[in-house]
Amino acid sequence: MGQVAQQVLRATGLRKAFGALQAVDEVSLTIAPGETYGLLGPNGAGKTTSISMIAGLLKPDAGTIEVDGRTMTPTATAAKAAVGLVPQDLAIYPDLSARENLRFFGRLYGLPKAELTRRLDEVLSVIGLTDRADDRAGEFSGGMKRRLNIGVGMLHGPKLLILDEPTVGVDPQSRNAILDSVEELATEGLAVLYTTHYMEEAERLCDRIAIVDQGRIVAEGTRRELIATIGEQDVVRLTVAGDAAAAAAACERLPAISSADAEDDVVVCLVDGAAAALPQLLAEVAASGASVSGVEVREPDLEDVFLHLTGKALRD
Amino acid sequence: MVRIWTIARTELLRMLRDRSNIFFVFVFPLLLVVLIGAQFAGSVDARLGVVGPQDDATLDALLERLEAADGVAPVRMADEAALRDEVERGLMSGGILVPDGLDAALLGLDDVEVTFIGRPDATATSLRTLVAAELADETLAIDAVALLDALEPRSPAERDELLAVAALVGGQAPGITVAAQTLGSDELAEEFAGLGQFDLGASTQLFLFTFLTALTGGVALIQTREYGVARRMVATPTPVRVIVAGITGGRLLIALMQALYIVIATVLLFRVDWGDPLAATVVILSFCAVAAAAGLVLGAVFSNDSQASGAGVGLGIGLAALGGSMIPLELFPEGMRAVARLTPHAWANDAMAQIVRRDAGLVEVLPNVGVLVGMALALGVLGTWRLRAVLAR
Repeated sequence: MGQVAQQVLRATGLRKAFGALQAVDEVSLTIAPGETYGLLGPNGAGKTTSISMIAGLLKPDAGTIEVDGRTMTPTATAAKAAVGLVPQDLAIYPDLSARENLRFFGRLYGLPKAELTRRLDEVLSVIGLTDRADDRAGEFSGGMKRRLNIGVGMLHGPKLLILDEPTVGVDPQSRNAILDSVEELATEGLAVLYTTHYMEEAERLCDRIAIVDQGRIVAEGTRRELIATIGEQDVVRLTVAGDAAAAAAACERLPAISSADAEDDVVVCLVDGAAAALPQLLAEVAASGASVSGVEVREPDLEDVFLHLTGKALRD
Repeated sequence: MVRIWTIARTELLRMLRDRSNIFFVFVFPLLLVVLIGAQFAGSVDARLGVVGPQDDATLDALLERLEAADGVAPVRMADEAALRDEVERGLMSGGILVPDGLDAALLGLDDVEVTFIGRPDATATSLRTLVAAELADETLAIDAVALLDALEPRSPAERDELLAVAALVGGQAPGITVAAQTLGSDELAEEFAGLGQFDLGASTQLFLFTFLTALTGGVALIQTREYGVARRMVATPTPVRVIVAGITGGRLLIALMQALYIVIATVLLFRVDWGDPLAATVVILSFCAVAAAAGLVLGAVFSNDSQASGAGVGLGIGLAALGGSMIPLELFPEGMRAVARLTPHAWANDAMAQIVRRDAGLVEVLPNVGVLVGMALALGVLGTWRLRAVLAR
């Protein structure tokens, strides 16, 4: 019971359809204070629809959402006050300065004047825009705009910060700065819901990760737990010339191979004991009519977990 | 209220930040007021059409006198029909019909009648007075010469004596009378009588530009949606009804700013008379409400800012033209005047005509105000309903 009360977010059985398309199907998740929870999935998997419901922008067809102990609906102002949303697309006025943008949203969040003034300076410092606070956002680089976009979401000191693909289209330097900021926020006790289709971001930031595909959570756990779903297997990537799909089908017939998938000219296999199985594997590929031009053996990662669970790559 | 004001103020701030608005909101309206004022002004010489004999010494001398006079530009014309047509169409401020053999008739001490043709306005009246005076001066000298020739003086002393006598009798000598003919309706002249040079342009352009600015401001609302800011507003603890009220308030603030600017600028720069302050304020406020509501509808209905921009400019100019903000409603045919009543501009222009030209007060323009408020409510309900639906998606 004590653990239940500690959850900042508790979403249960969320469902949302747009016409015939079931965008979100029975999604349930909880996030505790200081925890960063990742929704990892390709574009169109239902991540944005899920967070739109959690942020109170969309009404679910079924299911319940509680934020900080309050039921979230599109009209639940108290629940919304506990959430900071950082949408995937920039949601700032380019013709206002960074400070004006922050002040505008700070007032909509109902921050008293003195607190707003204090928080403005704090947030500008955190997002590294103190020196450019009075410049118009339209004049900023892509990374600076992204940081301002995040600053708006954290200005009012929410209990739950939702970041929807915050690093899309950002240069590596700004991306690192954003990831550092998110890590820092989590250490301050903020619950973070982070959606991404970048495996390395999920691996770096998230305490727990849900793998989402076609509106459903197909697996959930820590990085270690998710990779363990594959077992003690190795990943073998064979670069082939010829019919990669036929080569993958041939590989899958071997007992040591638990799955083999073709991506362009690469066959990715999950193998029990790669060292022993490799000669047979190469022979099967040759028998299928393809020739192997490159071999890579490594430990599995979340990308491989996703491939194993869904049969497709994250970038699809 | 703080949140409504925050949203409304931001809408206004963003409009003022757009550099293209400096010209279209602040400069262009005043330029048009000046242009329209110039059409009503006396600063351009009044054109006087002249139909009469060629190589007539008296007529030539009269034309020289008129050309030398301030504020009149005589123009020779081919015939009476052309002169009447141009005076009637307002291309000439007036004209004179001079009979053939003017010079000979005067020297023969015959009576001559010159016909003045003009519209029933102050300019024509002034022109007629000027023409009569110049003719009188010119014919006085001719009369004296004619009398001298008739008496055949025998010595310079006798000639001087006769000249003195001629001067004495000059007033009774045969000469020219100027008969006046008036073209056009007296009602129209009376309608615009007493208007200051910039009075008509100021109120009509106020309605044109207030509506236009409010409509094109609807584009900013679409941008707010396109930028994702509207959706983000919905994610805050601010209820949707407050967001809609703030956005509506922003449209109203922009319309009021445009109207207030034109009123203050035209009073300070052109000393425009806006009539009864209370009545004018109520009419302008109610028109601003219609304009703001129309901007809200445009911003909520369209989803693409370039489409909305085109539609806004087209509607803004089209409705203004139809509603008497380019050509006064009084010049419209009866059928078009009825159609014009579908536009808020027509009701507002009519109200301001009553206030400025006929010294009407608030009571007299209440029916117009009622129609404007009705239009504002209808458009406001449509716009807020549509905007709520868009924000809730």
